[in-house]
Amino acid sequence: MKYELVAGFETHVELATNTKIFCSCTTQFGGEPNTHCCPICIGLPGTLPKLNKRVVEYAIKAGLATNCEIAEISEMDRKNYCYPDLPKAYQISQFDRPLCNHGYIELSNGRKIRILRIHIEEDAGKLVHSRGSTLVDYNRGGVPLIEIVSEPDIRSIEEAREYVEKLQLIMRYIGVSDCKMQEGSMRCDVNISVRPVGSEKLGTRTEIKNMNSINFIAKAMEYEFNRQVDLIESGEKVVQETLRYDDVTNTTSGMRGKEDANDYRYFRDPDLVTINVPRSRVEEIAAELPELPAQKLKRYVEELELPEKDAQLLVKYRKVAEFFEKAAEGTKTPKTAANFIIGQIFRYVENEAEKEAMDIKVTAESLNELIKLIDNGKIRMNLAKSTLDKMLETGKKPSELISESDMAGLDENALAELCQKAVEANPNAVADYKNGKEKAIKAIVGFVMKNSRGKADAMAAEAKIKELIG
Amino acid sequence: MVTKEEIMKIAILSKLFVADDEIDGLTEDMGKIIAFADTINNAADEGTDFDHINHLSNVLREDVVVPSLDREKILANAKDSDEGCFLVKNIMK
Repeated sequence: MKYELVAGFETHVELATNTKIFCSCTTQFGGEPNTHCCPICIGLPGTLPKLNKRVVEYAIKAGLATNCEIAEISEMDRKNYCYPDLPKAYQISQFDRPLCNHGYIELSNGRKIRILRIHIEEDAGKLVHSRGSTLVDYNRGGVPLIEIVSEPDIRSIEEAREYVEKLQLIMRYIGVSDCKMQEGSMRCDVNISVRPVGSEKLGTRTEIKNMNSINFIAKAMEYEFNRQVDLIESGEKVVQETLRYDDVTNTTSGMRGKEDANDYRYFRDPDLVTINVPRSRVEEIAAELPELPAQKLKRYVEELELPEKDAQLLVKYRKVAEFFEKAAEGTKTPKTAANFIIGQIFRYVENEAEKEAMDIKVTAESLNELIKLIDNGKIRMNLAKSTLDKMLETGKKPSELISESDMAGLDENALAELCQKAVEANPNAVADYKNGKEKAIKAIVGFVMKNSRGKADAMAAEAKIKELIG
Repeated sequence: MVTKEEIMKIAILSKLFVADDEIDGLTEDMGKIIAFADTINNAADEGTDFDHINHLSNVLREDVVVPSLDREKILANAKDSDEGCFLVKNIMK
């Protein structure tokens, strides 16, 4: 029998605010243990939490960017569980009245992954288990999170990967989180079940907790899918449980402790008041949203006429897209800027983190200047390419690297003279061309380009050579 | 009814020292508090929304960092600490 994978995601995203959700301690990552703490975030009795305004704004942005409805009235609740990562023995979260509801993310195959809700909550502290005891650091306790809960609409590992990547990209575009999975500012829980292809009924699901890498998510899902299919095939039942993924052994195993105790006894947090978001405020925030990746991709393909593959590469990193737009501004065809970035500049920013930072010596303005020199016929493509390499090495501007004589190009006589030399120096290529091998002419043109240091116009040279060898 | 045993158990859980001669008084007090809560339960509920009885909304704070508390103070009430962390019994198996 063939089986289908059914998965839903709960994604925790740490919001890039300056301060924690209910107190004014810094949210900075790292720092000596328990140095970003105060009586509120370590839960001392008699303290009063007060909600960070920016947390509400960022969560609304996240909701709007994922097509959610923003609730006019929402509330904070206490989720009770006893575990040392929570100093109060409850987490302040949202239960029945979350801030955002009913959104979706559209995948490249046209399927919509529905988002059930996005709520705001506080992060827990960090536990380090060592030498038979547990060390607790509350620096992360109280850092604001949004939890994005999807419906079980994901049907393959590829869809899961795309869903997470899209969420990550959207959150980065709207600036609410850096979504660094390796630092834990984006973490996913995956609910996964299997069912025979064609069946409408959902199978028993398991939940793999707290994954912080897209590759691990893919591997864990693959392992869990196979494990569940094996169980069913051998006549056993899938047990609903919470699992942990071990990336060393590439297996999942059951978790014990707090995660199994599902009675959280939610109730309204009496310390925190109603959140009331008037329609007008939602509209203001919507107006502030930047162009989102999906819209950008569409515009690059439809208006700027970039090939979709190029457009995807540029849109994937917010700073690359910004760089491209500045570099292409006012040039004849945006494709030139795209080619320079994808072909040459990407060699200098090889990995994800480097592309994310786009920390290179060339400014978008200098590339724009270089492209305009090509557009105006001042320099040829060959010279432009070698100049861009120099720019990437030195950080100099085109005007500092290209002299007036370089820009002058070759006059007709000089070109004719050089073409004559090229014909004489390449008798074999000339013979090949005469024998019908059209491509042989490229070698002769190449000689001209090389000996003019890229100044010659390749098209004009080719025409001249054809004239000479008839 | 609150029993002496319950009071002693709560004292241990709360890490509070309770002297023998305090137990009777505390048991009586706690009994009264629980009974008072029953009074509230018996009161007529006229469909009032008790979620936020003060009807406040949007009590918000600007996102501006204020220095945190010294770590010694943060850890001052900890039963045990090590390496700048609260030290608790191992909760994992």
